[in-house]
Amino acid sequence: MNQVLFLKEMKRHAVSLVIWMTVITILISVTMSVYQPFMENQSKVLGMLSLIPKGALQFKGISNISDLSSPLGFYAINNVIYMMVLGSIFAIVTSSGILLKEEYNKTAEYLLTRPVTRGEVFLTKLAVMSLNVLLINVVTSLAGFISLEIVKKTGFSIGSFLILSLYTFLLNYFFGAAGLLLSTVVRRPKPITTSSIGLVLIFYFIYTVSKITESVSKLGYLSPFRYVDLNVVNAGYKADPLNIAFFLVLSSLMVGASYRIYLRKDIYT
Amino acid sequence: MRTPVIDITDLSKSYGKISAIEHIDLAIEEGEIFGFIGPNGAGKSTTIRILMNLIFPSGGNARILGMDVIRKTREIKRRTGYIPSDANAYSSMDVNEFLNYCASFYGIRNGEGRIRELCGLFELDSKRRIGDLSLGNKKKVSIVQGLIHNPELLIMDEPTIGLDPLMQSVFFDQLRSENRKGLTIFFSSHVLSEIQMFCRRVAIIRDGKIIQVEEIDSLRKKQLKKVFIEFTEPVKAAELKFTGIQDPNEGPGNTLSFMFSGDLNQLTAFLAGKKIINIMIEEPSLDEIFMHYYRI
Repeated sequence: MNQVLFLKEMKRHAVSLVIWMTVITILISVTMSVYQPFMENQSKVLGMLSLIPKGALQFKGISNISDLSSPLGFYAINNVIYMMVLGSIFAIVTSSGILLKEEYNKTAEYLLTRPVTRGEVFLTKLAVMSLNVLLINVVTSLAGFISLEIVKKTGFSIGSFLILSLYTFLLNYFFGAAGLLLSTVVRRPKPITTSSIGLVLIFYFIYTVSKITESVSKLGYLSPFRYVDLNVVNAGYKADPLNIAFFLVLSSLMVGASYRIYLRKDIYT
Repeated sequence: MRTPVIDITDLSKSYGKISAIEHIDLAIEEGEIFGFIGPNGAGKSTTIRILMNLIFPSGGNARILGMDVIRKTREIKRRTGYIPSDANAYSSMDVNEFLNYCASFYGIRNGEGRIRELCGLFELDSKRRIGDLSLGNKKKVSIVQGLIHNPELLIMDEPTIGLDPLMQSVFFDQLRSENRKGLTIFFSSHVLSEIQMFCRRVAIIRDGKIIQVEEIDSLRKKQLKKVFIEFTEPVKAAELKFTGIQDPNEGPGNTLSFMFSGDLNQLTAFLAGKKIINIMIEEPSLDEIFMHYYRI
């Protein structure tokens, strides 16, 4: 890893990281601030929700409306879109541009003609992407934890909260790895941001459709969102080794493939 | 025998069935100023980009300072400067920040002195944002970054594009000074006069193949001129009965044009007996030179 490049890249991504962190933190805090009024009118709200078709509730991520009574259940259901979808968009946008923008902006001619190897450039940029994804997860999870502590009426399992946070990180990192792979195989950088965001949304759409439509429920296995277990209120909630392995193996394969491709890639500017 | 600073053997690069360069052999000795000339799309940048390990060859190999350009890229780049044809540095950085960033890759912590010296020489305002600079000033930034670490070899791809004539002169003076200290220079251009003025040897490339490698002096001896003359009265091309005339052409309005590589005294003696309205003697395009000298 190259320290000079690492520091420059961290600086370059700092503003974007802070903006994304702030937006997600605000969204989480605002959503969690609704929890107390929700609990005060719990019976009315749950009654209203029970009138909504099951499919529509599942589209929102609510499998069982009673889950909303638990602070962690409320957190998991209401913040999934922010932490999982927005976090994944942040990860894929950051990673897909981190190598390709050097080519598009024609700065690769300055970077790759310095005394650094392709491998060092890749590993440094990978470290920057990984640290960015980790930081956004740590900060937003911390914001979630603080919000939960403030609004909780009953206790919640910290272990379950940490497992949910781990799933979120692994999902975000999966999309970060996908972005790296995209950036090494795509020759035209301009539409990559749109394509990357599209990829996250398509996977999320597949996941939600598979949940509300029984006939295509197996389609959900194509989406990485399917491998995040949101049933945090279950007493036996734990990290599923198969789900964890899915993220670790696929992310590693994508990072490894990106590395191999980048080492032998012709750089045109 | 000394190892050439740049040693290219049977180098090829193809994209499917299209060849960008084919079986190039070239050797550049230490301390040389070597020109690499050819029309746009001839394969100059492809060759240079392989040397800088930006693209990979389809065949053959290239060595710089005795090291393979793929396997020893880091060591090579530590001792080599590169000035790309495009002058797009990081637009959000200011000049000083960018140059210090470049210098830090070589472990140069007190690059300020060298940066100040080169910025002063090229009249660069180091506090300005690169994105706000004109093309000429961006080019100067590109030149400075290539020289910042006192390289042993400088590879330049069309380095004078965007530079005004005054700055070109400063640039070449600086390069001559660096060359006297031992810098080897490999320099691509499509401007023949630039190569003739600055280099000792030149390789001519066209359609991905090296056509000729020769001393600038011998190229100069073959120097071709494009001549256009407008007379008051009609003059027949057949009257041009001296050596060095090629492709004579009688144009409209008593004009005569031809390529000339002979004795200028013979031409002036011929013109002495004629009444002339206008005369133009220009440097031919590279394509015209190739067509006339190499008949390809």
